[in-house]
Amino acid sequence: MKSLVEYVARSLVDSPNEVSVREVRRGSAVNVILRVAKSDMGRVIGKNGRVANALRVLLKVAAARQGLRATLDVEEPR
Amino acid sequence: MSETRTSLEIIAPTVAEAIQQGLEQLGVHSSQVSIDVLDEGSRGLFGIGARQARVRLTLLTPPPQPPSPLKAEPSTERVSLEEVPPTIQDPTYLRKAEQIVYRLLREMRIRAQVRAFYADQPGPSGEYPIQIDIRGRDLTVLIGPHAETLNALQYLVNLILGKQTGRPIPVIVDVEGYRTRRENQLRRLARKMAEQAIKTGRRQVLEPMPANERRIVHLELRNFQGVTTESIGEEPHRKVTIIPKS
Repeated sequence: MKSLVEYVARSLVDSPNEVSVREVRRGSAVNVILRVAKSDMGRVIGKNGRVANALRVLLKVAAARQGLRATLDVEEPR
Repeated sequence: MSETRTSLEIIAPTVAEAIQQGLEQLGVHSSQVSIDVLDEGSRGLFGIGARQARVRLTLLTPPPQPPSPLKAEPSTERVSLEEVPPTIQDPTYLRKAEQIVYRLLREMRIRAQVRAFYADQPGPSGEYPIQIDIRGRDLTVLIGPHAETLNALQYLVNLILGKQTGRPIPVIVDVEGYRTRRENQLRRLARKMAEQAIKTGRRQVLEPMPANERRIVHLELRNFQGVTTESIGEEPHRKVTIIPKS
């Protein structure tokens, strides 16, 4: 699941080297946290969150196939 | 500008007559065009509700445009759908699009066959979209409720391919012929509701639909006698309304 988010994010941003993804798992719930360069935030979120929401839909399907529930957060770099 | 026209819509009492007329007008053989039956027409009951057949003929290889001294027309001028020449169909884009879909499916742990080709119909932009067919077993999860998953996949493939090639290339992703079936279903629904609107004299409001599905309904009823259509509401709850003409 991490690699799905990584692949999509790296394919969309201008600075793929600054993409990092981590997974926090609690039971059957997985929180995937995506971090990209500040200038790339708009590309992975999209207008009205459209890109992030599409990615959430695919992530949900991928997770369900492993009996998991996944959520996606997009974080700004510190 | 009839030289640049690559497709033609004909209305005639029957499908066969419409095709015949179209071929005569274009002056070509039936092997040189692709034929879409837009409406099979119907005799109606006792002549009530009879509709003519409607077909579209699209030249497979459009005739070369004769060099024109008026070539200096502003390129920003909008041209009608029929006059847009097919865009250059680069096979490397097909391979790229296939690879993106394969990769996404692999990441989702879905096994399927993927095939990309250029659609034979131009999309809303007048450009010929890349069509990607995904086939395999148990792929309903790839469609999702209200095609949510399929549309998310299609949206991301469009973005990724656009980023890779540096230009927006429309991509349609389909799973096991879902979009074609849905299109036929929407057309039938559109006609049924239009007839209902006429019969009752009341506007019929359809379920909320995404833009591509609303477009199918509008197009289907464009030449339907006695009704007009419009979309109301805000995305993602926009609905087509079918209004009887008074």
